[in-house]
Amino acid sequence: MGKKILIVDDSSTMRKIVARSLRQAGLEDCEIAEAGDGQEALNLLAANPVDLILSDINMPNMDGLEFLRQKAENAALQAIPVVMITTEAVADIVQQVKDLGAKGSIKKPFTPDQIRETIGPLF
Amino acid sequence: MDLNESIVNTTMEVFSGMLGMEVSPEPPAEPGMTHIDSISGIVGFAGRAKGMLAVHTPEITAKAITGGFLGIEVAEINEEVKDAIGELANMLAGSVKQSLAENSSEIRLSIPSVICGDSYTVNAPAVGQGLIIPFRIAEGRFFVEFHLVETEA
Repeated sequence: MGKKILIVDDSSTMRKIVARSLRQAGLEDCEIAEAGDGQEALNLLAANPVDLILSDINMPNMDGLEFLRQKAENAALQAIPVVMITTEAVADIVQQVKDLGAKGSIKKPFTPDQIRETIGPLF
Repeated sequence: MDLNESIVNTTMEVFSGMLGMEVSPEPPAEPGMTHIDSISGIVGFAGRAKGMLAVHTPEITAKAITGGFLGIEVAEINEEVKDAIGELANMLAGSVKQSLAENSSEIRLSIPSVICGDSYTVNAPAVGQGLIIPFRIAEGRFFVEFHLVETEA
């Protein structure tokens, strides 16, 4: 049975690109869930646990940093690994998301190989 | 790395790495051009660098770019096309931010806005650096425009 992966990004285009990249990275049988911002992701996770979360940072309503904070405070969600996929891979942001519990950061634009290299060790 | 070089490098990275399309930059042009039957994605900059970055795409080019992103053929201008052009502007703005700031808090980026129409111009304050870089793909040209002024704050 494939892994269940939640993609959080306000851009529907980027969600589809990430989903396609996951398949190209060898995760053809993964089950994809999507959310348009951090709040939507938290709502979805409350009823549907996943194996991995890939999240943007710069989003309306609830951004990726606040999502990480609230996820860290929720005992039921703490064990789910998160990798950030963002245009803002500046050094302090990379450190900040690491401090908030993210397992890695991928800079947009990215390739399927970069996705595979980053999330591979998490499975 | 100057802004021109950063934008050219990132644009080529997006097109080769994410779209599988060949793109070639052309000599920069002066801002102020009129866009006909086009879609523009715009990201605002605030903080130590103020201004905006825009990607202007004629409809035929916008459909080709969206099709490349999604791996499908795009027949009409729809929400997917607008979202794709906004995301392209977002990626380029993120790259420019990275070339200008060592810390993310120094410069803040807006969520992308998208405009489209049959004839329009984009006006920005005539301060700081202002430039349009044309790019060519097989389906036509598109333009990356930025107006930025760096401050001491």
